[in-house]
Amino acid sequence: MAPRHEFADKKDRISALGLVAPPPIQVQSPNFDGSLATLFSFVRDHKVDLLGVPLFPICEAYYNYLMLSDAKDLDEAAAALTALAYLLERKAWMLLPVIEPEPEYEEQMELPEPTTHEYRVAIEALQLWHEERSQLFFRAPEAGPDLYELPYTLGNVSAGDLARAFERILRKAKPETVTPLNKPRKSLQEQMKLVLQVITSEWARLDALITQPYTRSDAVFWFLALLELIRLGQVVGRVVGDDVEFAQRSHEG
Amino acid sequence: MSLVDSVEALLFVADAPAEVGSLAQALQVTEGQVEQAIELLGERLAQHGSLKLVKLAGGFQLATKEEYAQVIANFLKPQRQRLSRSLMEVLAVIAYRQPLTISEIDLIRGVQSDYSVRSLLERRLIQEVGRRHTPGRPVLYGTSQQFLHQFNLNDLGQLPPLGTAELEAIQLSLPSVAGSN
Repeated sequence: MAPRHEFADKKDRISALGLVAPPPIQVQSPNFDGSLATLFSFVRDHKVDLLGVPLFPICEAYYNYLMLSDAKDLDEAAAALTALAYLLERKAWMLLPVIEPEPEYEEQMELPEPTTHEYRVAIEALQLWHEERSQLFFRAPEAGPDLYELPYTLGNVSAGDLARAFERILRKAKPETVTPLNKPRKSLQEQMKLVLQVITSEWARLDALITQPYTRSDAVFWFLALLELIRLGQVVGRVVGDDVEFAQRSHEG
Repeated sequence: MSLVDSVEALLFVADAPAEVGSLAQALQVTEGQVEQAIELLGERLAQHGSLKLVKLAGGFQLATKEEYAQVIANFLKPQRQRLSRSLMEVLAVIAYRQPLTISEIDLIRGVQSDYSVRSLLERRLIQEVGRRHTPGRPVLYGTSQQFLHQFNLNDLGQLPPLGTAELEAIQLSLPSVAGSN
């Protein structure tokens, strides 16, 4: 493992926009010549007259850079857009023919200075340790038997077959009727009892079993109860054509 | 049956870092004796064999040596869990500033962090550690034992220190923790 103290001594240059480096756009104007990040810093610190810096070519250059760039980094794009928006707003205030003075910006609140750059070394360290850790292997925790899971068989019925059967009854469901707010809730257990009363030894499709007409809620309740009964081994299914038929297990085959 | 061998046997069957206290209790010896046995075991394993003793997440565990990583990976074909830059950033903020709320993470990062926090919770690298005594009682988050395990750390004290000035800046930008339960 690399010595941990190395990271504390690392002092990388932090850009004016924080952790995310701005795109490499060079600004050349009568009043300023340098990078977009430097321009942003100078404007923020009132070291350059923004009226002498044309912002349209800068925005256009950035747009072209973004369009042509292979690796589209959203963080970088966000950082640059924030900087450009700040510059545009500052210049707009300067150009407005109003007596009202430009509001004083509270640097902490208004400037895009995320403090995450302070964690840069820590993030690099974590990434390195995560990589190192991937070289170590431990005894895997044994997955004990899940008491809830009982063995059950679906025969030739797949989850997709069940999903399609469910979809069919949902398509035929009637719209929900308006019901009072304090509608009594029905438990899944009650629904399972109801389903067991309907399902017999005879194989039947789901839409033939469910009592007509029914709503989407009824369909969902029916299907959930059916799945639970299959899991408990009381109901079995089989694929016939492109649909699934169900019957009570005792009469399987 | 030597104590060193007994400790090795317990660490072999343990599927998580074993604390000295629990080893001492199982072996019915003092914690000092267990620590001595662990030291001897560590030296013995370092000299030969494919296993080594690692101290992480507040306990001891047997792990394979790095030189066997490739053949094990060929055999187990483990799924690599890569953390994106933004996830790592949120994790670092939580690791250093815990306990803290999502809005405080947002304040530090300058962007919303809900998704990252949810993702880190799903990976069990962070956990809810309480609620702040402010209106709304927002959830406080902190790192988990899984975080220490995944990053090969024994405790949070091993994290690289942030500069004093940097820490002061963070303290200024955040409200103080009123307490958690």
